[in-house]
Formats: sequence, structure tokens, C-alpha cells
Amino acid sequence: MTETHDQATPVKCRHCDKPMSTPVVCDYCHAVGPDAAVADHFTLLGLPRRFDLDTAEIHRRFLVLSRHTHPDFHADDTPEVQQLHLQVSAALNEAYRTLNDSAARAAYLLTLFGGKSSADDKSVPDGFLGTMMMMQEELADALDSDDRAEIARITEVLQTQHDGLLRRIGMLYEQYQESVSCKAVVDDLLGELRQQLNAVSYVKKLLSQATDAEHAHD
Amino acid sequence: MRNTLMTDSLILGIDLGTTNSLAAVMTPGGPEIIRDARGAALVPSVIAFVDGEVTVGLEARAHAVENPTATVYSVKRLMGKSIEDLTSDLAVLPYEVVPGRNDTVCVKVQGREMTPQELSAIILRDIKARAETARGQEISRAVITVPAYFDDSQRQATRDAGRIAGLEVCRIVNEPTAAALAYGLDRSEDACIAVYDLGGGTFDVSILRVSGGVFEVLSTQGDTQLGGDDLDRELINLLTGEIRREFGEELTFPPATRQALRTFAEATKVRLSTESDATVEVDLGAGRLFRRTITRDEFESLAVRWIDHTIEHCARALRDAGLGPKDIDQVVMVGGSTRVPMVCRKTGEFFGREPYTAVNPDEVVALGAAVQAGILAGIKRDTLLLDVTPLSLGIETLGGAVGKLIMRNSTVPCQATETFSTYVDGQTAVDIHVLQGERELAKDCRSLGKFQLTGVPPMPAGAPRVQVTFLLDANGILDVSARELRSGQAASVQITPAHGLTRDEVDSMVRDSYARAVEDLNAHRLIDLRNESARILAAIEKAIETAGDVLTPQQRQTLDAAVGDLKTKREGEDCDAVYEAMGAANDAAMPLTRAQMDDVLSKTIKGRKMDEV
Repeated sequence: MTETHDQATPVKCRHCDKPMSTPVVCDYCHAVGPDAAVADHFTLLGLPRRFDLDTAEIHRRFLVLSRHTHPDFHADDTPEVQQLHLQVSAALNEAYRTLNDSAARAAYLLTLFGGKSSADDKSVPDGFLGTMMMMQEELADALDSDDRAEIARITEVLQTQHDGLLRRIGMLYEQYQESVSCKAVVDDLLGELRQQLNAVSYVKKLLSQATDAEHAHD
Repeated sequence: MRNTLMTDSLILGIDLGTTNSLAAVMTPGGPEIIRDARGAALVPSVIAFVDGEVTVGLEARAHAVENPTATVYSVKRLMGKSIEDLTSDLAVLPYEVVPGRNDTVCVKVQGREMTPQELSAIILRDIKARAETARGQEISRAVITVPAYFDDSQRQATRDAGRIAGLEVCRIVNEPTAAALAYGLDRSEDACIAVYDLGGGTFDVSILRVSGGVFEVLSTQGDTQLGGDDLDRELINLLTGEIRREFGEELTFPPATRQALRTFAEATKVRLSTESDATVEVDLGAGRLFRRTITRDEFESLAVRWIDHTIEHCARALRDAGLGPKDIDQVVMVGGSTRVPMVCRKTGEFFGREPYTAVNPDEVVALGAAVQAGILAGIKRDTLLLDVTPLSLGIETLGGAVGKLIMRNSTVPCQATETFSTYVDGQTAVDIHVLQGERELAKDCRSLGKFQLTGVPPMPAGAPRVQVTFLLDANGILDVSARELRSGQAASVQITPAHGLTRDEVDSMVRDSYARAVEDLNAHRLIDLRNESARILAAIEKAIETAGDVLTPQQRQTLDAAVGDLKTKREGEDCDAVYEAMGAANDAAMPLTRAQMDDVLSKTIKGRKMDEV
């Protein structure tokens, strides 16, 4: 069974023994907990394990926690405390970087929910490869002839594809939250999420080729 | 020297520039620039070696034409570089650069080889001494700024220079970020800022989001080998090309002439920032006179490709930040080269808004360094800087490809782990080649060095699981640690830097530099000041002999009084008094120095008087 609880397990501060709302920093004495460096990204930022998160809220939490954990504010502490702050700060930066990007957040959530990695399951949604082969050829032609209008058009189509895939991923995660008790449904959902995410990586690769070409003239 | 209780908490903010260096400190009233008795803050990053004496700054720069091979400038361009990296620079540098150990370079002056780290340390020591005089206290810690686009080797080299100068480098801060700190400090509203920083030798652009006192760098782009020097070089090439066409292609330029041409090119560039044309006259001897008027349009046609290059970087930085030009609330211009009108015009056109030019674009980076120093010293807690690494970090994989571990523009500190195994039964060591850069192949990236994991327990091939952690700290400097997962043993990591000094080498340089200044820094400083003042007195005496007639009776009287005062003070024990008397004597001797400079210049190049160019 996958983990489903939305909230982090309550922990107690090692310094003042008061309950902590996140393992990162004590709400009372502001000491940084040693578990913070190994907590998952959601727990670290004190966010529920969900795909639909408000990026402004993610950013706000990131800034607040950075103020508590950043090594700059502990330059005169013992080497142990400094090392802890360095580790936690690095973990926090990675957590923010991952959760702030919707595709990265979706992929990370999938691993937390026990889905397959992209190395283990390389499948993509039906019909997707055909569309992509076509787009790839069109893009290659446009790049060869340096047709900027055509490159811009393809970029727009790819961007729409990308946004559409993420919308679908959002819907799948909504269904997941509602059907966590049924293993067969969950496995199907996780499988399809993997496919959609593989498709996102594919589209992103093409998109970066197209935008690189667009900006080569800047 | 006065001593206060603040001694330990004071951290100096230093802008170690290609052309000029300066320092600032955090005070309760905000960051403050360190100035000398005359009010000057900028110390030219020039070192002169004359008769076994080392001088730094204005005086060293005055030696440049007279003594081109023993005057070292633009050391920053050599930091963390190999001789191959510097081909285009070597053609114009009048001093000798030779290959050093571990693929580094050394500067050879009067038969002695010195690393760029040691040379930078000479400048840093001078900056430190000036700050100690100004503050009346010893300073042992510093924040030093570097171009945002500096790689790991260049950052390490800067930190090593600090250590050699006797400074604990608490932080390496990126210059555009420091500028943003200084700029955004007294502005409370949330905003997106673009910092365009064109210095003497380097270019950076950083995009930041400022919210609630947190300065968050979103992206950074740049070129560590692009700056005002390149604009000078365009002018030098124009002049030398035309001189050869007029007086014969076989004409060669001795180091003194090359140095003089450089001085003239720089002066022309500065003049063209305010004037529409500037005239250069070069007397090549034997009645050969070269005269040329350069218009601003002409200069801009030479400069445009460099400036367009910076605008391309701006576009990339914006794209990396996921923003467009209209999302930027303010464009801040930093660095002396932003005084070139075309730079501001092009930047303004790109961002679609009038750029903000700092009151003094030369000082804003040092002010920001002082702010960061204040944060680290714990006296400024409402501001936080979140910076990024400018380059992706990766390791060489089979077939010479690069496996990226940390992507560029990741907020530092950041870390990545990778598990390695063995290929042969009983293998106890694994080599890892670490690289920095965006290219796909190892040979196209910057090698940071080879890391050898040793102490792997002997096991069948593929059985050990060595987990290696790559940690970029808040300085953007890499630390590598390793652990064998099955045995839980820490494997040791040995680093061979690709373009730097090993820890032992730095230690020995630190020892060498301390050997001179044992414990009593004050006594040491007094000795230095006495030597220095003896030299100045001798120089003044000589100048009076050769050019004394240029002085008005009033000037002569002032000079005699200043010389007398310095002679008295240097017999005493008060460092600050000697220092001030030295400044006064120097000031009083200025008309003489100027007359001599004009004389020297006219021997190689006949042009305007020094203060007209």
C-alpha cells in the first residue's frame, strides 16, 4: 500500500521538546531538526503530497524556511551545526526546484507513490510517437531552411502539447486521490501517469531544440 | 594601531577587479567604502616590481610605460586558466606569462615566477592594509567578489589568493548579485531586477527576484573573457594596423610602445564616452609621426560586435529565468565599461526601459560585498542572498560523454549523489573526472579535476557501491565526499585540480607570506612604511634634480614642507602618521610626477599631456 496521508508525521524538537509542524525547523525555538536533511520534498516544505499546489505558496514557504536554514545566518556556529545547515539548505533548494516545476513535481510524486521510473517503463501514450515523429521531421526541415516563422509555429504547437499533457496529469492525480483504496485502479493510474510523463520529457526535448534555434538569432 | 573590541566581527568586503580593486565595510549606518587620506577608493589592480620593491596601485600603474615587463596588470584574467586558454590575451600583454604546474600559468618578472594567486594576494594585502589604516584595527576576514560566470577553478584561485594574503575568505560572492544587494537594500517593494555588469575583463548578467528582503538569483549568464579590455584591443589593433600600413608592415612594437598604445587606447575610449571624436598622435621616432582622429561612430562600429554579444547573454539569462524583457522592473548597470554610451543604449533597447546607472558604478559591487559581510558577521539579519551556480556540473561517463549531476542556475548550496562501482575484481580505487559546462562531450567542458576514490574494500567486480556526494557550497565551490555503502566505510577522495593549486601548494605559499609578517603585524607595517617613505623621498629628490624647475615657488614650498614632515614622522612609531605624511608628500610631488610622465610618454609616443588624454 502506498503512503496516503497528507500531513507529515508529527515530530518533537530535540532542543525544546515541543511538537514541530515540520521536521525542518522548530516553531518555538527555531532550531533546525536533524531529520530535515533526509525528509522528502513535501515534508520538508510542509506541503501535502498533492500535484495541484499553489506555486506562490510553495515559493512563500521556501523563502520562510530559507531564512531559518541558510548557512549564512550560522557562520559563527560550530562546524557540526554549520554542516547541518549546509545539508538542510541544499535539501531545501532541491525540494523547491523540484516542486516549483509542475513536470518535475509530477515525476517526483510518482516515485513517492511507488510508480515505475522512466528507466523501467519507457512507454508513451498510444499515437503519441506518430505525432512526435511528424513534428520532429517538420522541425528538422524548418531548422535546415532556417524558416523562423515555421519554427515559431512548431514551438507553439509543442507548447500546447506540453500544457495539454500536464493538464491530463493533473486530472490523473485528482483521480488518484479519490481512488487510493483500490489497488487495481491505482496501478492503472500510476502506469498512465508514467506514460504521460515520458511524453512530457519527449516534448520538452523537442521544445528546447526549437527555442534554441529561435534564440540563436538574438 | 588603535584596537577596538569590534576586531573580530569586522569582515571586509572586497571587490577584486581586473582593472581596479576596492573595499567596503558594514557599519550601523549601512555599507561604507574604504577611502585613503585623499578620499580615493579605487586602487588600480596593478603591481610593479622595481629594484626588488613591490608597489601596488596608482604608483605601480605610473611605472607601466617606463617598465612594461615588470608591471603586472589584469591578473584576474589569468586566474584559474591554462596557457591555452589565454592565447588571445598573451598577444597584447607586455609582461611574460609562462606555463605553470597543474595546467596553470605563472607570470615571470625579473626571472621570478609567480602564480596569479600570489599576484592577486599582493593586491589583496594592499587593500587589507589600507582598510586597516582607515579603520584603525586589524582585519583577518573578508568577503571577495568574483564574476558570476567564474568556474570552480577561478573561484578556488580567488579564495587561495585571499588565504595567501592572510585573509580568511568567509564567502565568495558573485559581482552582479553583490551589486543587486547594494542597489535593492533600501527598496522595500518586491521586484525583478536585471544586473548588467561589464567590467574591465569580464561580463555578467544576472536576473534576480527580490521579495521581502530575500534576494533570489533566478539565472546568470556571462563571459569571463569579455570586457572593456576588448574594446581597448579593438582600438590598439586599429592603430597598429594603420601605423604598419603607413610606415611599413615590418614595423615591430617594443613592450614600452605596446604599453603606451594601450594607455592611449584606453584614454581614447574614455574620451569617446563624452566627446564625439578623439585624436591620437604617435611619434615613432626618426621623424615618423602618426596622427589619427577617431570618431565615436567609428569606435562604436568596432565595439558593436562585443556589445551585441552581451545582449545575446541577456536574452539567454531571461530565457533561463523563464521571463521576458517586460517582466523586468529595473535594469541596473554596473562596472566601469557601462560608461560607454553604446552599452547603455543597446541594453535599454533590449529591455525596453531606461537602465539605472548607479551613482558610482565602480563602487556598488564593493558595497554589496560589505552587505554580505554584514550578514555573515551576524550584524545584518533582515537580508538573505540565494545565489545560483552559473554552470552545470557533471562527470565523465563511458565514451567521453558528460553525465550532468547539477544543472546550471541551481540555487546553492546544492548537492547530488551518484553511485559508482568497480570494473575489476579486488579493485580498491575508482577515478572520477569532474567537469563544469553545458556541452555534451567531456572534451568541450571545463575539467575541474580528477578525483580518486581510494580505500574501496576489495570485492568482486561490480559489488562495491560507492556513493559519492558532490556538494556545491554557498560559494559555488565543489566539495566531494564518498562512502562505500556495503561496508559503510568512508572512502577517501584525492583531488588533482585541473587548473589550480593543491592544498599543500597553497599552504606553503601561506607560510611564505606569513614568514615575512611573523606576529607583529604592526611592526612589520612600520618597517614597510619606512621603506616605502624612503623610496618616495629618494624619488622626490631625484625628481627635483631633473624637473624641479617646473614647480612654482608656492608648490616648491609646499613640497619642501611635506618632505620635511615625512622625514620627521618616519623616525616615529606611529604608522598612521607616516602613512598620512606619505600621502601628503606624494600629493605635493604630483606636478613633478606629471612632468616626468609627460617626458617619458613623449619619448615613445607624442600625444596630449597626461591629463588631457
